[in-house]
Amino acid sequence: MSRIISRRGFLLTGAAIGGTALVAAVGGVGYLATVDVDGLDGFLDGDRAVLNAFLTIHDDGRVVVQVPRAEMGQGIHTGLAMVVAEELDIPFDDRISVEFPTEAHPAYATWFNVLQVRPEEASGPVVWAGRRVLGLLGFISTGASSSTMSLWHPMRVAGASARQMLIGAGAARLGVASSELSTGDGFVRHEASGRSLSYGELAREAAILSPAADPALKPATDWQVIGTRQARVDVPAKVRGEPVFGMDVAMPGMLHATIRHAPVFGAQVARIVNEADVRTQPGVLDVTIINGRQVAIVADSWWRAEQAAWQLDVEWTGTADDGASSADFSRSLRAALDVTAPYENLDEGDAATVIGSNTASVVEASYEVPFVAHACMEPINATVIVREDGSAEGWVPSQGPVNIRVGIGTGAGWAGVEPTSITCNVLMNGGAFGRRSDQDVVAQAAFLAARHRGRPVKLIWSREEDVSRGLFRSHAAARLRAALGPDGLPLAYEAIVAAQSIIQSVASRNLPFNPGPDGDRLTVEGLDKLHYAIPSRRVRSQNVPSHMPIGLWRSNGFSFNTFFTESFIDECALAAGADPLDYRRALLRENPRHLAVLDRVAVMAGWGTPMAPGRGRGIAIEECYQSVVAQVAEVTIAEDGEITVDQIFCAIDVGLVVNPDAVAAQMEGGIIFGVTTALMSAITIDAGAVVESNFHDFPMQRLHNAPEVVVEIVESDLPPGGAGEPGIVPVAGAIANAIHNATGRRLRSLPLAVTETIGERRTRSVLRA
Amino acid sequence: MVSFTVNHTPVDISGADDKPLLWALREDLGLPGAKYGCGIAQCGACRVLIDGESVPSCSVMVGNLAGASILTIEGLPGPDGTLSLVQRAWIDEQVPQCGFCQPGFIVAATALLAQNPNPTDAEIDEAITNICRCGTYPRIRRAIHRAAATISQS
Repeated sequence: MSRIISRRGFLLTGAAIGGTALVAAVGGVGYLATVDVDGLDGFLDGDRAVLNAFLTIHDDGRVVVQVPRAEMGQGIHTGLAMVVAEELDIPFDDRISVEFPTEAHPAYATWFNVLQVRPEEASGPVVWAGRRVLGLLGFISTGASSSTMSLWHPMRVAGASARQMLIGAGAARLGVASSELSTGDGFVRHEASGRSLSYGELAREAAILSPAADPALKPATDWQVIGTRQARVDVPAKVRGEPVFGMDVAMPGMLHATIRHAPVFGAQVARIVNEADVRTQPGVLDVTIINGRQVAIVADSWWRAEQAAWQLDVEWTGTADDGASSADFSRSLRAALDVTAPYENLDEGDAATVIGSNTASVVEASYEVPFVAHACMEPINATVIVREDGSAEGWVPSQGPVNIRVGIGTGAGWAGVEPTSITCNVLMNGGAFGRRSDQDVVAQAAFLAARHRGRPVKLIWSREEDVSRGLFRSHAAARLRAALGPDGLPLAYEAIVAAQSIIQSVASRNLPFNPGPDGDRLTVEGLDKLHYAIPSRRVRSQNVPSHMPIGLWRSNGFSFNTFFTESFIDECALAAGADPLDYRRALLRENPRHLAVLDRVAVMAGWGTPMAPGRGRGIAIEECYQSVVAQVAEVTIAEDGEITVDQIFCAIDVGLVVNPDAVAAQMEGGIIFGVTTALMSAITIDAGAVVESNFHDFPMQRLHNAPEVVVEIVESDLPPGGAGEPGIVPVAGAIANAIHNATGRRLRSLPLAVTETIGERRTRSVLRA
Repeated sequence: MVSFTVNHTPVDISGADDKPLLWALREDLGLPGAKYGCGIAQCGACRVLIDGESVPSCSVMVGNLAGASILTIEGLPGPDGTLSLVQRAWIDEQVPQCGFCQPGFIVAATALLAQNPNPTDAEIDEAITNICRCGTYPRIRRAIHRAAATISQS
């Protein structure tokens, strides 16, 4: 059956839902147990042949892969395009480019993250209904290291299905059976007659054929693209300095805006004392209060808007948190570790009784981490237009169109405008790390755009607004206890973490509901150590709300809990008189996957070889994002306490690897991100407000103090795991353990060092007194 | 009015003597390759070459540029668009992740190699002080060494 379809876009939800429902009705309940992939229908759109929701082929043979995940530096546009190219049977060369689709096709929905089911394993009515709902809602976002896991299978199928359609078109054109045709290098070939047709020539005829219901996928042994090192598709433009980021958006008639938030979160604008003066500043077109909480200045240039903003004298309302300080937060967290009824996350066996009856062998330690900022290199920004006809469009470096759409609706709503349609353009993210999954800046820009109908408004937060008025990773504290048996290994393990709930804070700003403690996996991830063989286990948590807005932050709970737990396991090992590697090996005896990663990193680092005085080595391992990652840090502590992280060795089992260079890059970069956090990062609160404001007082590792990083990928038979976040997870624990190894000092809170400034842009890290 | 050249093209800018070069490039000259990262000469994302010297353009005012010759990231390729040797090395080593800070690093490395065609690691540490939040430093170091090796072969 062939169908002629010519229309501007996919008939979105109706077709997908209707089609699936029809198949379900015909196939009966059995259908609900099968695996399927949405979005395989094609259509024609001008000179584009849309083969399916993931793939367009132009007449000249150019292949455009639609990747509905934000490129924020992790290389996902390349990885998922490689998967399509593999099944399409075309080399990964410059015929292939990538676009983030502006249409919210249900096939793009990020249901994997919510349902926690891999698409290749998805079955059953609950998953079926969940995907449909999330697809209808247009829940398309990038995060949780999930993009390869969520899309590699659907996009393989999309590539294979398109290849079948191209073969079908070739068979019709050549008047031969499909079975006589082969593909290669972007051509359909008929070996018997020597005739061949390019994909570009066939695409229009292919796009209107019915897709194969269940196209055969290439066996892994035939792969020529997946698993090979491929150069990233986005790199050339970035090296040329082309305008690919949200901050680079330029349009005719565009207005520029800057913003000032209250120093104390929760305060409102009482009045703008000198509004009349500020309005007369050069270039200023508008001074306005957004939703009662921020002051924005709109001008003909961002520089002029920002100059005027420095002149602003705003009176803010008082709040109950005007006296809050980091010391207060710390006391609240420590007190919360002793609450009588914490949230009960996990119980295996009776850990409390075992610990209570083995008091002589109990190891106990408390740990703490401060708030930290994301500090993406591209400051927070969004460009929005609300046109005279009521339609709205946003151009945002965002982790997903869902944030843009919701943000535009929210912000336009503040101005009393309900957009008739919203188009979302997801641009390159100049770093994201969870920060760009919030709707905040989009809503603010949309409010301004609704006030200035017909003109695009680009709102940029200054770096100072980003560091001191933005979103943060939670401040967190934990107390860990273990009762060691006669062999030194834990009989029972107990952990409680007190922190401001990540997801409840995120939900309060972005979702119409609050999932409560039952829905907060993020704050306790990394605490349960399920991969360690421990007979009894008890995990508790306590939400400690504050006025600080918490955002998703690269590796979330793992970023603190793995520091806590891997430091603690080291403390247990040393209490038992065991080598930290041997101790972990014993605890991982039932987990060959973890053992292989641990052993690999130990070999890489030469674990056990002697080190010079003042030097130390520390190890840590975690299972996260369906990957297993282990690291060894080597540090040197100088006589005056200066800490140098010389080297970090990293072994990772990330399951199936699509682009090994991208995995290595994520480990390298994640590790350096983690070293910054471990040694240097703290957001401190005084008089209710954030003290730090820019890179001079929220410093980062730079080239001169970044460690050497050595990465090895462990071969794996498992499907793909996540790679964006695992790299940072073990870093702080490995460094703290190395510092103890070098000095005998156990540091139980981050940052591990004091940062001293030496010269204009150089810093050094000195062991805390 | 202030006159200078940007990427070999003469420009005249009026009434913006106190505007940082960064914002003149981005807003008035349509050259967004230099990035705003901090505004206080800490991160180096805005670096450009002024008379061959790598300078954070957020901290140089237009009024001080009379007669200067400025090169931005957009001006590093040859007239036919061929990437500079440093840009080429950046691709060969697959340096960028998010890429936002990379124009500043490429400019800084270009200035370093012009002055010192074969820098040691210590000299690279001394000269390259930009910030990359993604943590691409190991590859930046490799790319500078690769570019240096290309220079020595040519």
